[in-house]
Amino acid sequence: MSRPKTLVAAVAAAVALTASSACSGSAKKINGGGSDGNVYTSIDANNPITAGAPMNPFNASPNTFLGYDQMQLGFDKKNPADPNDFFPGLAASWTATDTGLTVQLQPNAKWSDGTPVTLADIKTSVAVAYTQGLAGPSAATANPSAGSLEVSGVKDLGGGKIEFDEQPGVKNLYFTRLALSLTIVSDKVYGSQVPADVWTTIAAAQGPDANAAKAAITKLTTEGKALAAFAPAKDVSAGPFVIDHIDPGSAVMNRNPYFYDVKKIAPKQVVVRHFTGNEQIWSYMKAGELDSAPFTAMPTNVLNQVLGAGYTRMDSVSFVGASIAFNEKVAPFDKTAVRQALAYVIDRDAVTKVGEPVGGVPNAATTGLIKAQSDTFLSADQSAALNPYKPDPAKAAALLQSAGFKKDSSGQWHLPDGSAWKITLQAVNGFSDWISASAVIANELTGFGIPTTAAVTTDFATYKKEMGAGKYAFGWWLVALGPQTDKAYNRLYGSDDGFVYTNGQITHNDSGWEHTPETYAVNGQTVATGPLTAQLSVTPVADQKPIIAQLAAATNQELPVIQIWDYTRVQFTLNKRFTNFPKTGDEALLANPPGVWMMQGYVQNK
Amino acid sequence: MTGFGRRLAGKLAMGLVMVWAVATFTFFLVRALPGNPGDVQYENYILMGMSPGQAQARVNAVYGFTSHEPLPRQYGGYLWQLAQGNLGQSTSYSGVPVAHIIGSALPWTVIPVLSGLIVSFLIGVAAGVVAAVKRSSRWGGLLSLSGSVVAGVPTFVVALLLLLVFHTEWHLLPFGGTSDYEAGWNAPYVGSVIEHAVLPVCTYALLSYGGWLLAMKSSVISVLGDDFILAAELRGITPVTRARYIGRNAILPLFTVLALSFGLMFGGSIFIENTFDYPGLGSLLLKAIGTRDYTLMSGAFLLITVAVIAANILADLCYTLIDPRVRR
Amino acid sequence: MAVTTATLGASPRARRPALLAFRTAVLRKPGRVVGLAIIVLFALMAVAGPWLYGRLEIDPDAVYAPPSAKHWLGTDFAGSDVLQEIIVGARYVLGTAALAALITAVLGTGIGLVAGYRRGFTDSVLMRITDFILTIPAFPLLIVLSTVWDFSSPWLMGLVLGGTGWGGMARAVRSQALSLRERGFLEAARGLGLSTRHIIVKELLPNIAPYVAMHLLLSTIAFVTAEVGLFFLGVVPFSTTNWGVMLNQAVFSGGALESPDALFYLLAPLSCIVLLTLGIVLFLDAVDELFNPRLRERA
Repeated sequence: MSRPKTLVAAVAAAVALTASSACSGSAKKINGGGSDGNVYTSIDANNPITAGAPMNPFNASPNTFLGYDQMQLGFDKKNPADPNDFFPGLAASWTATDTGLTVQLQPNAKWSDGTPVTLADIKTSVAVAYTQGLAGPSAATANPSAGSLEVSGVKDLGGGKIEFDEQPGVKNLYFTRLALSLTIVSDKVYGSQVPADVWTTIAAAQGPDANAAKAAITKLTTEGKALAAFAPAKDVSAGPFVIDHIDPGSAVMNRNPYFYDVKKIAPKQVVVRHFTGNEQIWSYMKAGELDSAPFTAMPTNVLNQVLGAGYTRMDSVSFVGASIAFNEKVAPFDKTAVRQALAYVIDRDAVTKVGEPVGGVPNAATTGLIKAQSDTFLSADQSAALNPYKPDPAKAAALLQSAGFKKDSSGQWHLPDGSAWKITLQAVNGFSDWISASAVIANELTGFGIPTTAAVTTDFATYKKEMGAGKYAFGWWLVALGPQTDKAYNRLYGSDDGFVYTNGQITHNDSGWEHTPETYAVNGQTVATGPLTAQLSVTPVADQKPIIAQLAAATNQELPVIQIWDYTRVQFTLNKRFTNFPKTGDEALLANPPGVWMMQGYVQNK
Repeated sequence: MTGFGRRLAGKLAMGLVMVWAVATFTFFLVRALPGNPGDVQYENYILMGMSPGQAQARVNAVYGFTSHEPLPRQYGGYLWQLAQGNLGQSTSYSGVPVAHIIGSALPWTVIPVLSGLIVSFLIGVAAGVVAAVKRSSRWGGLLSLSGSVVAGVPTFVVALLLLLVFHTEWHLLPFGGTSDYEAGWNAPYVGSVIEHAVLPVCTYALLSYGGWLLAMKSSVISVLGDDFILAAELRGITPVTRARYIGRNAILPLFTVLALSFGLMFGGSIFIENTFDYPGLGSLLLKAIGTRDYTLMSGAFLLITVAVIAANILADLCYTLIDPRVRR
Repeated sequence: MAVTTATLGASPRARRPALLAFRTAVLRKPGRVVGLAIIVLFALMAVAGPWLYGRLEIDPDAVYAPPSAKHWLGTDFAGSDVLQEIIVGARYVLGTAALAALITAVLGTGIGLVAGYRRGFTDSVLMRITDFILTIPAFPLLIVLSTVWDFSSPWLMGLVLGGTGWGGMARAVRSQALSLRERGFLEAARGLGLSTRHIIVKELLPNIAPYVAMHLLLSTIAFVTAEVGLFFLGVVPFSTTNWGVMLNQAVFSGGALESPDALFYLLAPLSCIVLLTLGIVLFLDAVDELFNPRLRERA
């Protein structure tokens, strides 16, 4: 087709009208080299970038980038053996004490305007966290495993030492972890956004008077609303980069000359590109435009293209798994034999090959944990004793027959009451891996003699609501959220299963949707899943093994869910403009964004 | 008041009534929608490692923008704010004004739509005249067929095919975003913006090309058969004058196509921006739906509708100005 | 646009000549025959497709396989046959479009006829409603509605498409009715004292039937576009396969734009949509000629 000059002219004229607010200057190609370092181009999977969104990390869709211009005291290594294991960030070192945490700030910690990071900044950041629901007493305080950060005060001990005092009477095993994960913002920018009496309100929220505390929490949340929408005119960052400007297509960040470890930071500029879907990220990679790319659920053909474009693949453990959950209130899923039979019918290898061929590993033994966790906590004998549920139609048939099911002459299974057995497998719109995998599972079950339909719900919010209403008996569910094991088991034996806390006591009621029995009988022992899970959250990791052994064996035998695959975080790096990237095996680094790699001395100019 | 003024006032009043009707419709539709952005984000927070209690607290803090006032009051407030140009606060952006977010996206829809409109008008009208004059020849027939097929083939099919050919196969044009350069007053930036806009603009142009062509063709054919042309021919006018007669009279009905084209293009922007990853109004509408941000969604939808209503009025007025019969 | 008496003067009893004329019109140009053949082919596909095949076979070891003797158009993300999916998926796409077209025909013709024949207040009210429907950009509206309704059932999808798409038809029918109203045979009918209902149903309707048919074919294209588009964008949850779902999977999960392996999976539904459009457009030419003799004279 023809493209006359008018098009060019019209576009140019119109662009001229709109671009006037953008800064002028010499043309800078977003993807180019330079004398004092190259430009690092990447994508932030959590932030697709919207022009017009504020440069405020507390906004729900912020234009700030963790590890680049958004800083924390430390960065989580995602170590299942020690949840408090962190990389240093603004904190150079720290010591957990009986009453809280003492942090040694980086000696040169400065904001991008040249002023030092001080106690005022930390204090404001904690106060902001209270107004944003990121710290402090929540509705779930009665639940010790709610595990929120409870700070009663922040003190300057001098010499850059800062003390975080945990609220008296609260003993959170992961106080260190939560305090180090706080987003630290500048008091000059955010100080005016929190009320002057915020610490009085926080004290009231922590006070013994339940009604006053509740009122204080409401007050904090109300005050936080304006702050979440607050749009600073300029980015002030204590991280290695600071935002220069946000285009509709990208966020451009310059190296922060005042960053405490600026000599380690090789790129002079970081460009985070906009994306709307995975296919965009793949296209950028195919053209060699990204220096590193985050995890996307990709098929093998795309993987080959990406590798062909010169990318290196880096695999690391992603502490989450995909499973299919049951509503045990719906017959026949209340029968353990039925759930086991289905586990024998579903070929997890085949399902993973279609659903998550690159970013998934078939789950080993459906224990409620992913393999990296169970390997950490279970002994070799314990692991060997687990049932791997290898595909075995004969065993499945035997189990069904033992439960009173009958197969008719056409090969279709009938329920014990004689009616034909049909299943609907529910997935969620947008989870393309689940939807693809559903097709395979439905095919396998139908082939076995249980006609199965794959259905899809509009969105996750509706999905959860309908699940809660008991509308889905058999549907996809994310499990093994970690690395903390208490969180992983909370996914199975927590509020979704009707285990709730009232006055510090755990009770089981009908409010969940899983409807598992309150206790299981495993190897002659009674396993109380809910209380054991709650116990995990107050048990130091070193002492968790016996509890996890019980929960894993029980989950493996009773199958409240059938785990299908463990996600693998597959990331890519390009050795073209930069070198010295982390590699497969550098689990702790790969769990963090590239800005953190740079802080640790990785990513050098080529 | 002149006839034209009365007509203008009437059209504007009608337009306002339409805007009000659409605003009312979206207001009540939005309140009937299930789910809210907080529910969607809650699950994300859980996946990011928050405990259920924390996630709930965070959701209450950042997504607490739902009003709990009685419905008629909310409706009154909404209309009042709307009259002042306030589209409300976005939920998925924790209270950032919707007008601000839409304002950032708007240029990236308006520029390609207008460019595409101009391109398709020029090509479509020219092709329409050729198709009319040569309607008995093979080329004329093919031209008409191209118009009908292009008008019928879905936008996303055109967009995908263009992307496949010019980006994937030939690597001629970029994909995604609006520019590879930092925004500014310089040749590389403007050049890059144009380069990125070529595919979307071409798709927009193809979208309404068929409409122009077919309308122009049938208009020219009907004018050719009109009595006054025949009479003029008998009087022995020059071919140039004849062409002017025909052109002037044939182009009139095209203004109805203008209105139609606007509607098509703003509707098509959803596909075009989604396929080319172009951050305009259509992308924003899709994003708002994905995050269940209902204020943003109704804001974007309302704006698209208002654009179409405005285009209708504009087309009608142009028609009035040119055709003396209607002016009277 | 002016319509001459030649076609419209035909009385309802002259059906056989109309059929004959239709045959002659279709056979006049080979393109029209091709168009009709394409439409018939897709219609057959939609009717018989799901009966031809049982459930889709799945083969996790042959994901995105290239075309072969076994799989003429290759396979998809789960190793299922693409051709089979195209054929099975035609029913949802075309069935929905047909339902929507039916609703459009009933609503559009009804409202257009009444408005055009009654004129006055009824006309004003009906046309304001029509204007409203025409002004709201249909596709953005569908996307917004997709958040409220579950479009996985073809019935609801067809209902909504038809319910939002009748405006153009009502407009066109009204203007036809307006011009027919002043014609001799209608004045005669009125003079005879026949009831309004009789006049509308027995006299007006048969005369605008070809016009309605033409519009219906055009709106079918629009309906196919809209529904396939909704699935392509992924705003409508899907559980069964259809062309839109295939496009969505190919582009957003299969990487058809990045790797040639999934290309056939993308091109197959794309070609079907283009082919169907082409078929309808070619065939429309014949309907157009039947209806507009001015074209016939000059062709």
